[in-house]
Amino acid sequence: MDGSEALSMLELIDLSKRFGDVVALDGAGFVVESGRILGFLGPNGAGKTTAMRVVFGLVRPETGTVSWNGGPVGPAERLRFGYMPEERGLYPKMKVQDQLVHFSRLSGLSKTEANESVDHWLDVLGLAGRGDGKLDDLSHGNQQRAQLAAALAPNPELLILDEPFAGLDPLGVESLAETLRGLASEGVTIVFSSHQLDLVEDVCQDVAIINEGRVVLSGSLDDIKNRSKKRRLTIDVDGEPWIPDMPGVEVVDGPGPSHCIVDDDAPVADLLAAANTAGTVNRFVFEPPRLTDLFRAAVGS
Amino acid sequence: MNPWRQVALLAKREFLERVRSKPFIITMSLLVVAILAIGPVISMISGGADEVTKVGLAGEELPGIEQELYDQAILFDIEIEVERFPTRAEAETTLTDGRVAVVLVDGTEIVFHTSGSSQLTALVHNAVDTTLKTEALTELGLSENEIALVVEPVPVEVTTLEEQNAQDEVKRGAAFVGAIFLYISIIMFGQFVAMGTVEEKQNRVVEVILSRVRPWQVLVGKVVGIGLIGLLQLVMFSGAAYISAQFADLPDIDVAAIGLPVIASLLFWFVLGYTFYAFLYAAVGSTVSRQEDLQGALMIPIALILPGYLLAIFAAEDPDALLPTVASWLPPWAPFVMPVRIAAGVAQPWEIVVAVVGTVLGAIALVWIGSRVYSGALLRTGGKISLREAWKAAAE
Repeated sequence: MDGSEALSMLELIDLSKRFGDVVALDGAGFVVESGRILGFLGPNGAGKTTAMRVVFGLVRPETGTVSWNGGPVGPAERLRFGYMPEERGLYPKMKVQDQLVHFSRLSGLSKTEANESVDHWLDVLGLAGRGDGKLDDLSHGNQQRAQLAAALAPNPELLILDEPFAGLDPLGVESLAETLRGLASEGVTIVFSSHQLDLVEDVCQDVAIINEGRVVLSGSLDDIKNRSKKRRLTIDVDGEPWIPDMPGVEVVDGPGPSHCIVDDDAPVADLLAAANTAGTVNRFVFEPPRLTDLFRAAVGS
Repeated sequence: MNPWRQVALLAKREFLERVRSKPFIITMSLLVVAILAIGPVISMISGGADEVTKVGLAGEELPGIEQELYDQAILFDIEIEVERFPTRAEAETTLTDGRVAVVLVDGTEIVFHTSGSSQLTALVHNAVDTTLKTEALTELGLSENEIALVVEPVPVEVTTLEEQNAQDEVKRGAAFVGAIFLYISIIMFGQFVAMGTVEEKQNRVVEVILSRVRPWQVLVGKVVGIGLIGLLQLVMFSGAAYISAQFADLPDIDVAAIGLPVIASLLFWFVLGYTFYAFLYAAVGSTVSRQEDLQGALMIPIALILPGYLLAIFAAEDPDALLPTVASWLPPWAPFVMPVRIAAGVAQPWEIVVAVVGTVLGAIALVWIGSRVYSGALLRTGGKISLREAWKAAAE
């Protein structure tokens, strides 16, 4: 690749992997650019964890490649990646500080760098002063933070987090989201998987949705929403739900008034007029679909 | 980053985490103290056996008998002390208490508590005999020189065709104890490797590690780190045993001449044997996901090691027998059997070369096989996978 184009970028290209009779990946691929946060979505068993493991060489794909900045990914590249696996695990009997320093040094940091970085991240993640305790002595939430620190402490250029928000309380979610945004603004590329679509919508610029081993939708969240042929219609007439009587209307769940999905060329003016005749319109919103709508459409359920 | 630097970091963690642990420090200290105590204890016990033999005199006393008893004791190479008792009854009581070994009554009767010692009987008898004969010959007017000519024993040289060599006996014994140490150490540290592997799988920390390093690095780091603890432990134990032996007060035994080669041999064969078995232990350890399932998997290395141990016992008895001889050439058993045969002085140089080269090649093969199984099995969690499945999984 031409040096002038050397934008730090992760590409997963045409990955396939089968475990016995189970197809885990079936030509999956997506791209993330430097400093962007990508939400990696899909139902359970869709292939998210396998795809992430491929990036770290933990699973060898039958076809396809992973490239970083246009070049192949080998052991040297992987040391610049941080990984928080879905299966959480650290050494329960080892001091938190010691093991984080150990993992950072395995990633190539010097002793001093590792200690400084671990101190920094323990502080940022609210674990200051806990480094001398064993992992076992930490609460569940703090163990989760320590796990995240293991991924962050080596100061990676690419961060891949499998379900980082699972099991965090609302404050923890907010502070992790803040941390990720901060890292992205410093140029760190971030991929994380989650089932909390509202959260993804809030944190990510990009998404990739995988289903049955294939990426069925990927790109910038704004683009995808604008390109969508569907719109979300939210109507509240006299404080009651009101569903327009027309073909192709799909009613969806949502808080408050009625929510439905309609085509983007729906006759909005006619619908509003019809609602007006039914009563007092408190709310009438015609907007791009939410991520949850896109997700539902993409995975077909 | 140099992959060997990562291996060194992994080994360092294995080493420090275990060596720093309280149970390890306590166990090691207790065992070292116990070993150090063995020598002085042996010295005390054997010192007790060396005590002066007490010979009692009761009733009528032959003139000059005391001096004659001491003279005879020198000839018999026993240290004695003569004690007088006014009456036979008192002498017998002391005899029953065991404070006196033998009593001469009236110069005519030798009394023991239980069955008599032929050596003491001969000693006392000779003393009585010489005393009485000296007295008789003096009365006949013979000069002192003439008397000596008659009563003093003529020196006769004693020759043994085969020297009872305490040194060799002790050397073989030490080599055998070394074989037991080796057996225990290889099993113990092999199990540490297997348990450490399962632990990392069970904790799921293995995925965090493998996102940074290759499986072979984890494997080599673990085997080296734990092996260094094994070496440290053996050095400390054999060092303590060596110091302890200095205090054991063993006559006719050159502790350095026996101890140093045995220690060197123990450490050498530990490195070879441990390397061979540790990779096997890691491979079987990687096939299970929980500590509870480990015992079954450990039967594989045990089934190989146990015959080696039994053959070492066999070799200690009969180092030239066919079975131990053949076993001492073959990699799985050479580390246990060969040191015993070397100590017995029956191993030919070519046999030692075969044993060492064979074990090194075997260890290299197991590093390769073990790494492959380990790579294939490491990320398979939930249940147990067979060695064959793991082998195939590594190819995927």
